[in-house]
Amino acid sequence: MKKLLKSIFSMMFAVVLALGMTACGGGTGDGGEGDSGAVDSEGNTIVKIMFHVDKSSTEGQAYQKRINAFNNAYKDKNIKAQGVFKARSAGASGYETELLNNQLEGTLADIITFDAPNTAAYAKSGLLYDISSLISAEEQAKFYSLNKYEGKLYGLPIQESSAGFYYNKKIFRQAGIDVSAFSAENPWTFAQFKEVCSRLKAHCEIAAVDMRIDATKDETAPYLLYPFIYAAGGDFTSGDGYTATGYYDSAATAKGFQFIKDLISSGYTSYAIGPTDFFTGKVGMYLSSGWTIPDLDNKYRDNFASRDDWGLLPYPKDVVAASATGSWSYAITNNHHTDKTAILELLKWMTSAESSKAITDATGMIPARNDVEKSYQPGSPEYTLLKQLELSGRERPVTVAYPTFSTTFNQVIAGLGNGDVSTLLTSATNTLQTEMNRLKNLK
Amino acid sequence: MDKRLIKNLPNFKPNKTPVKKTVKEIIYHIVGICLSLVFLLPILYMLATSTKSEVSYAESIGTVNMFLPDFANSGTAFENYKSVLLNYDIWKYALNSLIYAAIVIVLNVLINGLAGYVMAKLRFPGKRFLSFLIIFLIVVPVETSIIPLYSIVKIMLGLKQQMSVLGVILPAAISIFNVFLFTQFFQNIPKEYEEAAHIDGANTLGVFVKVIMPLSKPIIATVAVFCFIGVWNDYLWPSMILPSADDGSWPLLPIQTALISIKSIEGITTGEIMASLVITSIPIFVIYVAAQKYIVQGFGTAGLKM
Amino acid sequence: MLKTSIIILVLFLFAFGGFVLYDLATAKKRKEVYRVKSSATAYLMLLPAVILAFLFILLPILYSLGYAFTDYYLLRPNDINFIYLDNFKDFFEELATKGTLYNAIKNTLTFVIGVVPLQIGLALLLALFVNRPGIGSKIFKVCFFAPVVISLSVTAFLWEQILAPDAGGLLNSLLGVFGVPPRDWLRDPKTAMPCIIVLSAWQGCGYQMLIFLSGLSNIRKDLYEAASLDGANWWRKFWLVTWVGLRSTFVYILITVFIGACRILTQPMLMTGYMDHTVTLSYYMYNKGYTERWVGYSSAVALLMTIFIGGITLIQRRMFREEK
Repeated sequence: MKKLLKSIFSMMFAVVLALGMTACGGGTGDGGEGDSGAVDSEGNTIVKIMFHVDKSSTEGQAYQKRINAFNNAYKDKNIKAQGVFKARSAGASGYETELLNNQLEGTLADIITFDAPNTAAYAKSGLLYDISSLISAEEQAKFYSLNKYEGKLYGLPIQESSAGFYYNKKIFRQAGIDVSAFSAENPWTFAQFKEVCSRLKAHCEIAAVDMRIDATKDETAPYLLYPFIYAAGGDFTSGDGYTATGYYDSAATAKGFQFIKDLISSGYTSYAIGPTDFFTGKVGMYLSSGWTIPDLDNKYRDNFASRDDWGLLPYPKDVVAASATGSWSYAITNNHHTDKTAILELLKWMTSAESSKAITDATGMIPARNDVEKSYQPGSPEYTLLKQLELSGRERPVTVAYPTFSTTFNQVIAGLGNGDVSTLLTSATNTLQTEMNRLKNLK
Repeated sequence: MDKRLIKNLPNFKPNKTPVKKTVKEIIYHIVGICLSLVFLLPILYMLATSTKSEVSYAESIGTVNMFLPDFANSGTAFENYKSVLLNYDIWKYALNSLIYAAIVIVLNVLINGLAGYVMAKLRFPGKRFLSFLIIFLIVVPVETSIIPLYSIVKIMLGLKQQMSVLGVILPAAISIFNVFLFTQFFQNIPKEYEEAAHIDGANTLGVFVKVIMPLSKPIIATVAVFCFIGVWNDYLWPSMILPSADDGSWPLLPIQTALISIKSIEGITTGEIMASLVITSIPIFVIYVAAQKYIVQGFGTAGLKM
Repeated sequence: MLKTSIIILVLFLFAFGGFVLYDLATAKKRKEVYRVKSSATAYLMLLPAVILAFLFILLPILYSLGYAFTDYYLLRPNDINFIYLDNFKDFFEELATKGTLYNAIKNTLTFVIGVVPLQIGLALLLALFVNRPGIGSKIFKVCFFAPVVISLSVTAFLWEQILAPDAGGLLNSLLGVFGVPPRDWLRDPKTAMPCIIVLSAWQGCGYQMLIFLSGLSNIRKDLYEAASLDGANWWRKFWLVTWVGLRSTFVYILITVFIGACRILTQPMLMTGYMDHTVTLSYYMYNKGYTERWVGYSSAVALLMTIFIGGITLIQRRMFREEK
């Protein structure tokens, strides 16, 4: 017994010791394995591409199919693409941590996907490779939006998104409101929006419109509501993304926020609207992104039997028309592979019209390119979103301090109920400007 | 003094008549049931929602119906469960979690138990330093240490995907708090037990395995249950360290990461999400109810002095 | 990283060696006898735990505390420079502006002051309630523990629905019956923190209830009987027997609940988001470190917080010792 115990213990000890040794010795040895850009045994150049979604998701499968197609097409040229899938998780971004640690280890994939608002921060930190000269001007013109920072091109969007006001046609009919005149080409005005709300209010159990002003815990409220400020002629930052003072607290910006505040104080919208109140017919309009279309088509048949029961209206305009855009993009990384030829081939493949169509067919979002064939019926929700994107899509402010912008925007929206707009904006501007100054000092 | 003895004492006056006692019992249980309801709210909500279609769920929000099943559709009450179990490989992930939990529990009890035993029973120079270190490590906030931890584990295990499982298991195998619990528990085991074993010729390790461990079922059960809950509910760390599932091959991810990806599947209903949550909560409840008695004993005997 | 880790390991071994020598040198004074064989066994048996704890707990913590003196920006892991005390300077400058950081400290203190007595009190009451024989109390015991094991995202969503503003919220409709006007519980700076306190206490007290129960099970029954014989009423019995018997359990619970409360993060994150009236110090730290990517600064906050919590914990332990 004694011996047995001794041997068990020494085994345990050995295992732990061996692990400790790996800790001290294994750091650099494994670096070569699975190295991107490396050449495999058959002489293929390996190009690694990292995605932010689960491989088993619909979107992940669409990416994998495009990679397989690429590998077939480039067999003769000896280029082989390899997809790495790392689903981004809530909270501390596992995806970003993975990205940075790969950069640290020297194993960063050749192409990565990233959320468009991160362009400035990633580009400034040297994570992304400048592709301005690699993508022709003619090709660039085909994209609805480009991921630029300080005039240089760093990324190309995978797909596009847009948002608008879903409305309950039954309630609108009851209230005798006719909105058929409003379209993406001819959006309604702030005043008309208010008027519709005032007439709608009496016919809705809870409120006229769900503006998602309660969704201030994540990117939802900033994504859906920033166009109102642009529409009012306001702005958030200077062009270089390092000045907020004079933009975020300008009179025009305040006007945009005041419009939202007025909707709250008139009782047209409120923080109290539940996440499903529009779907159960208690609210007349619902501001949301394109992904609500399949929900309305499939999930709520009792209230929305067909598209005769619901429709989609564009963002209202004031001084100008503005609507939400933005999604994830591809970028070539600044990793140790200096020869970007093969990598560029893959980037071009993944952003081609064919790939763009294949991926948006799977996700239901809007293609990133204007040369993708689309067969939307004029007047259909999809058509409205696409047209709106073409005509008035405007991206969120490009600044290295984007996370702080997003936080302060949420704080302003959450404070509109009780607070006064100029006080809220002064405080938000100060916070954002302080952060910008700090980032500017970062070499 | 024995209870029966007191009752038989002449000056012992039962101050309650049987009727009064029954009334008291009834009141006690009514109060208990009301309190229990307050604490069971999330479970009632989960169970109720798991039987609902999206529309009936949406209608129930903000009303008391949130906590009541959808009686109108009692025929389809288990639809969500069926679709979750058939369409998503939840059981594979659940099995992964069970395996991880089992390994973590064994390692955790052995490694921390040994350490706790040494801290409680043996004399050696440097002990005060280690005691201080234990308290220090319990106190410091670890929120920011996940970034360096990730780098350390990656450096240690290299980049091979198969090794990443160790990245989930090894950090979970050590818990300073459990060392502390074991120490407290072992301090209360009388010296005589070990002395007797030592006289019989057992060495220190032998005493630990043959004498101490059998006496320590309560604390082992306590540590095991909390290890299990920890592994079962952890998702951020495994999702960072483990590769996501490839087509066909067995996934390495544990249950919570599967739940997170299920939540983000397009077209999934809230009822289905809740059904999967209910399914994944069952093991925790079973284990907790089974080990409850030991947990109370475990903490009790540990004495828990900071 | 590898080099620094080895340096830290060497330093750790030196520190440990130093304390070993110190212990040996003062052994006589402390009337302590160390035997070579038993000490060697002790080190050997500690080894697995020490190796794992060093790699996965101590090393990450030391790194993150070490980052406090650097300009580590999350996106620049290759370019970390020592900036000495600049992060601490920034911390106190930020504090002076009475901005988010000031609110974070204020809210954390409010939370600690509110939740510690509430959670411990609730736990004690529940423990006393279920501390009796019978199947009923056994079932209640399981029920009270339920929130501890349910995923926090489920409970947070549920509470959001309960506390929703206007008539949409359950609490508001319930209070409406008694004529209380509806409130926006989580957006109102006056009620948000109290709500989070109640929610946290409700969520966590089942765990402390179990620990109190184990403390109660250690109290000898004859003490109650003796007190009964002396004609003590319920309150006197509680005060003289139960409370005295629960003393060490109470101190343990006080310290652990206090430490947990100081580190409150998930509840405000899930319930309200990053708002001035609910942001806590841990949340501030998390936001600075992950969202805004200032790992260095965030680590400096962590270091200050550690010193603060450690200090209070030491005072709590000292107080208890003097009373003993």
